[in-house]
Amino acid sequence: MSLKQKIRRWLIALCAPLMVSLAASPQAAEPLKVGLVAALSGQSAKSGEAITRGLTIAIDEINASGGILGRQVELLRRDDESNPNKGLLAARELVQQEKVAVLFGGLDTPVSLAIVPLANRMKFPFMGVWAAGTPITRNGADENYVFRVSAVDELVDEALVQYGIDRFDMEKPGMILINNPWGESNELGFRKALEARDMEWAGIERFESNDTDVVPQLSRLRDQGADALLMVANVSPSAQVVKSLDRMGWEVPIISHWGPAGGRFSELAGKNADKVHFIQTFTFSEGGTGKGAEVLKSLKAKFPEIQTLADVTPAVGIANAYDAMHLTALAIENAGNTNGAAIRQGYYDIDSYSGLIKDYSSPFSPQQHDAVGPEDYVFTHFVDGRIVPLEF
Amino acid sequence: MTSVTAVTSHRMLVPALMGVLALAGAILSFTLGGYGLLVLTLIALSTVVCCGLNILIGLSGQISFGHVAFYAIGAYISALMMMAGVPLVLGMITAAVATAVVGALLAIPAVRVSGPYLAMVTIAFGFIVHHGLIEWRSVTGGSNGLAGVPMPDTGSLPADTGLALIAIALMVASLAFFHGLAGSGWGRAIRSVKATEIAARSLGFNPVQTKTLAFALSALFAGVAGSLLSPLMMFINPESFPFTQSILFVLAVIVGGAGTVFGPLLGALLIVLVPELLSGMAEMRLLLFAGVLLGVLWIAPTGALGILQKRFARPAKVIPGCQPDTARLKTFLTCDAAAPEGLQVENLGIRFGGVQAAEKVTFTARPGSVTSIIGPNGAGKTTVLNMISGFYAPDSGRIELDGDLAGLPAWKIARAGIGRTYQTTQLFTGLSVLENLLAGMQQGQFGDCWRGPESGQVALAMDLLALVGYRGSIHTPAEDLPHVDRRLVEIARALALKPRVLLLDEPAAGLSRADTDQLAELLKVISGYGIAVILVEHDMTMVMAVSDRILVLDSGQPIAWGEPDSVRSNPDVVRAYLGSTDYQAPPRPEPWNGSRDATLFVKDLVIDYGAAPVVEGVSLVVNPGELIAILGANGAGKSSILQAIAGLHGASGGSIVLNNENIETLDASQIARKGLALVPEGRQVFPELSVRDNLLMGAYTRNDRRGLQQEVDRILTRFPRLKDRIDSPAGLLSGGEQQMVAIGRGLMAKPSILLLDEPSLGLAPAMVAELYDALAALRDEGVTLLLVDQMANLALQVADRAYVLETGRVVHAGDAATLRNDKELEAAYLGENAS
Amino acid sequence: MITASIISGLSMGSMYALLALGFHITFIVSRTVNFAQGSAVMVGAVLGYTFCITWGLPWLLAAVLTLTICALYGLAIERFLVRPFHSRGSEAWLLATVAGGLFIDNLVMFTFGKEPRRFTLEAVNHRLELAGTGVDLMQLIIPAVVAIIVISLVLVQRYTHLGKVLAATVQNPSAARMMGVHVNRVVAASFAVSTVLAGIGGLLIAPLVSVHSDMGTLFGLKAFAVAILGGIASANGVVMAGLLFGLAEALIIVYLGSTMAQIVTFSLVIVILAMRPNGLFGSKTLVKV
Repeated sequence: MSLKQKIRRWLIALCAPLMVSLAASPQAAEPLKVGLVAALSGQSAKSGEAITRGLTIAIDEINASGGILGRQVELLRRDDESNPNKGLLAARELVQQEKVAVLFGGLDTPVSLAIVPLANRMKFPFMGVWAAGTPITRNGADENYVFRVSAVDELVDEALVQYGIDRFDMEKPGMILINNPWGESNELGFRKALEARDMEWAGIERFESNDTDVVPQLSRLRDQGADALLMVANVSPSAQVVKSLDRMGWEVPIISHWGPAGGRFSELAGKNADKVHFIQTFTFSEGGTGKGAEVLKSLKAKFPEIQTLADVTPAVGIANAYDAMHLTALAIENAGNTNGAAIRQGYYDIDSYSGLIKDYSSPFSPQQHDAVGPEDYVFTHFVDGRIVPLEF
Repeated sequence: MTSVTAVTSHRMLVPALMGVLALAGAILSFTLGGYGLLVLTLIALSTVVCCGLNILIGLSGQISFGHVAFYAIGAYISALMMMAGVPLVLGMITAAVATAVVGALLAIPAVRVSGPYLAMVTIAFGFIVHHGLIEWRSVTGGSNGLAGVPMPDTGSLPADTGLALIAIALMVASLAFFHGLAGSGWGRAIRSVKATEIAARSLGFNPVQTKTLAFALSALFAGVAGSLLSPLMMFINPESFPFTQSILFVLAVIVGGAGTVFGPLLGALLIVLVPELLSGMAEMRLLLFAGVLLGVLWIAPTGALGILQKRFARPAKVIPGCQPDTARLKTFLTCDAAAPEGLQVENLGIRFGGVQAAEKVTFTARPGSVTSIIGPNGAGKTTVLNMISGFYAPDSGRIELDGDLAGLPAWKIARAGIGRTYQTTQLFTGLSVLENLLAGMQQGQFGDCWRGPESGQVALAMDLLALVGYRGSIHTPAEDLPHVDRRLVEIARALALKPRVLLLDEPAAGLSRADTDQLAELLKVISGYGIAVILVEHDMTMVMAVSDRILVLDSGQPIAWGEPDSVRSNPDVVRAYLGSTDYQAPPRPEPWNGSRDATLFVKDLVIDYGAAPVVEGVSLVVNPGELIAILGANGAGKSSILQAIAGLHGASGGSIVLNNENIETLDASQIARKGLALVPEGRQVFPELSVRDNLLMGAYTRNDRRGLQQEVDRILTRFPRLKDRIDSPAGLLSGGEQQMVAIGRGLMAKPSILLLDEPSLGLAPAMVAELYDALAALRDEGVTLLLVDQMANLALQVADRAYVLETGRVVHAGDAATLRNDKELEAAYLGENAS
Repeated sequence: MITASIISGLSMGSMYALLALGFHITFIVSRTVNFAQGSAVMVGAVLGYTFCITWGLPWLLAAVLTLTICALYGLAIERFLVRPFHSRGSEAWLLATVAGGLFIDNLVMFTFGKEPRRFTLEAVNHRLELAGTGVDLMQLIIPAVVAIIVISLVLVQRYTHLGKVLAATVQNPSAARMMGVHVNRVVAASFAVSTVLAGIGGLLIAPLVSVHSDMGTLFGLKAFAVAILGGIASANGVVMAGLLFGLAEALIIVYLGSTMAQIVTFSLVIVILAMRPNGLFGSKTLVKV
């Protein structure tokens, strides 16, 4: 939307009391709008870009086959700067001014948590495609309008701990966590998973994303007898952990949340990047077949800056957004209109959809607002700059 | 800011605008949809924060890059309380109190520092709070914050509308509070300290108190605004309060117009509305927003509203009467407190580094009399005043006025009844003439934070202004006053303090003869009210005319004390002023007879510093190879002429021609390149560079850098004393040696003319002789010289011709030999009665 | 672990000192600073990456090109973000440089990309054993390079004509004008030097962190804290404060964890300034009435 249109809209809003209502009836040809509130600038800009790409490819496919309810789909994006205030403001604008049918959420759990109460109060569907905070979908509302196609921290933590035990005979893990909301929420998840198994942990160490040296924290974990590391951090701080381990000369298994998949981890972390085992919901592969290859082809066609697999990171962001958009299209088709309550019901009514991550069948129900579960998690690591599933 | 005065004089305009704002806000609260309402509420809250910040920046002249921390503290407090079931109002009050306390605590380090140091303290504070909120997880919920803050109970109204109305009410209330504050006793105290801390202290204000108050108030505003943010957003975490927000708040205040009432509103519109207008730009938004901010800063670097007000606001003209109500003044000014002996100074002394700036200074200033302190430049007169008024703590001695005041802080001394004025006037800029006086009348007290002045105070102020002979409007901002009026208003302001002792530091400097004569009359009238007046002054006519007793200082030592007649005939005093007549410079072998094709030609030069001219229509000619002297008493405008010629500040009229080329519009560095070198007053060597490097710096403009070493050697032959010091830092040299360095540095440029400003100032007699021998030698070698020296006898020893200046005009010109025996010259120095 | 932390602290500390010297240099000649010094760090690293990795230029050439552009960037900051305000007596240069930094950060995000990249040379990518602990070669190179720069700055200042002119301008700007020095040009040059120092900082720190558009922000802020702590007008003070700050930070991370590092270091800044309002090594200026 151009600046001029925005200004006009504002003028109209401000002059509203003076104006007789001129309710223009929506025409059939008017596009169906969906919104995205995500971090498009700053440290997490890459995540916003990935979501944008996933949604765009899906929307292009939908529009090519006639749109939703016969209407072309239009994506409106807003930058939340990772600030919940800005996120809430943008959500209000998209829902109340732009009348988007569905709102998609971005990377930051706090921003999503700020939007959740609004969604439930104003009855518009809010689809999370990244933020994994457990309470986003499990928010306790009677009528829950929040759905998600992404991992759930608590389930991921459970899976990571189990993997550590199965694969590395982990007995006393140490946690190395980024000091942000994500790290904080996973600390709770890890504690829960370990307590459930009656396991003790060597220590919980947190670090800042700008830290150049994590040796002190890691040394403490080593001194306290950690036999494996549970790591939660974005790609660049994850790389700092690996580099610090190199510097210390400490070889220890690292089991990680999906942070390393968020960028060029193998480039950033150097030769030992492959030692990090991390969880994924989806990976693209070169020369593959089926849906993944098709989408990769479309991505390359649509975004010329994508040349190799290394350019389509983070794959999960793209895949989650892609599947979420298609599921949403089905939900709206089921609803037959863009009423929030109807679309919510429409999500429940989805029968099956063959997506990028998996073949979904009845992905949502009033008890289950997360379409992706532990059964969909795969463990991977980097080999020659590519993410490769681990055989186990 | 001028804007405060401008607005406070528009009595009805501001309340009317407030009404409009409240009404518009209320209407919008009921008509706007959810999103519009949220934006409206955020604008209102940002205005409240910026309004608080405006107290800090606009009124108090401090800055804070950590204000978002107060916003956050307020938000967390109200969130926690509301989540515990406490009503919003209690949360708001608690937030207000808590943030005000934190603000006052932050002021403890903050008032000790200024400039970038203050910026750092507030940035650090912001970071500490931000990370504190993350780490104090048990209370603040860590980085995942507090979710589910309940909406307040607003009765039958929807909560959104209720919050919007509260925010609008708060916004209007804070703007109104700011408006009231600016014109109240608190506001004047805070603004006075901002304008000039020195003068504020000498009127009894304690800067620590005003700055702390400003910090606490501005924190309180941010805290209250924050307390509304959490129920509005229903979710807060540390990322809701990023560091950049602090910067945006400051930016809003600055571009809106710091110190103006409505500036913060304008600024809040900019920082809330513009990002919303740009929201469709998605990832480009921040980029564009940064661009917009830069654009706004370029257009209105000093604030949009300030510029508008300067153009359109016309403060009412109120002029004090010609005759004051003397009865009322007598009641006000006559002091009943017991100090019949007046001010007694005994054996006062102080050292700066190795220099004894004043020693064994003893005198008494009786009530109802005028006591003058005179002496040549650098004698320590102002140092004595600074000790009496509490700016310097003396090393020894007593200052008795109802008890010993020596060493007390300036504001306590002011409250004890000692008022003063300054060599360069220190009026409170940004305050009107009236407000300057009202600030004085507060005697360091704060008064209240709401009411404007009482009518009795205004009447008294008018009387004081009439007494000093001020004939302008009382609403004129102090910075717009002409020079004479500044002097008068400053005296009136010192009188408003109801002083028992009044210290005047060179009140006649820069005044015309007629103004000076009136000033002399005024001083007699003031002392007539029973005030002990102490005068430091170079204008001898005035000193001789008004003084009851005179103390003469030379190099920090008292050399004479007594009545005017006895002082004037004291040979020590004459020597101190005119310089010794013992020194005989080597005369020119034969009289100068060179080319009349002038090297330097000055015509009708006029110089003023924004007010009355200091130099009026001076013309002079320097021919190649001549040594010309400009003579005259202190403040006659001699140095100003040299500085204007050298391009250090522009002349306001006339022309200056150097080697047939006009140079009056050029910058100093360009003039230097044209071959003019100035040896400035006070030497101004580069203190940390070696003597050699100082000399080499003199050759900066020369393209031929070869042979410089020989040049340096030649300078060393001329000034053999410098040989041993060639590699020491110039700052460690004695005054005379530094003077030689400065002259040598000037010569290194191979200038076509060398200007010397007061070369003998503060030098020992032996050194002066050596220096003047060197000048004579230069003259004999054919160097063109223009010399300014207070020591007229000395200058006339070496000069070919001289110009004598009095209050900015040439009164005599002629050859040096004739002037040397002229009694009128002495008159120009020691007052007319001298002859 | 302590040895490793001390080495790490000294290497970060010398980094802060280098950036803080940038603040110092512009401050002494003009009483202004580029508040967005962090962005200049980022510009250095990003340009270095672009020339060295993307374009494949030899590292020396890449470094020279990078620093040349940094110098031009500094001149632009002075000309467009500082001078227009400072010459009118407005303090808004402070905000203008912040807005300028925000602008550059976002501009780089669009041109360089949103992904963090690694920028290191194989030649320096080594791990060493030192006093029983492992260190990166780069952690030793940084203090060494900074030491060389500081020493060369001292040499330039003491023994070259340029240094003398700069010193003269700092010590007495109006006398320098009388000698024919274009003070404006000296100020512009000081901004160029300042951003070049930041650019060097960016090139040096890049191998230890990852290169992306807002890598510099926190460095810039900490460096400002260092400059203030040392007493911004004192070069020795700034360098000392940088090393102390780096060491303090490293030791706090060892004993209290890195999450407390900012709280403790910034609290120390406040406490120290409350006790010494002109910084640790700054001197008090006597106010003349």
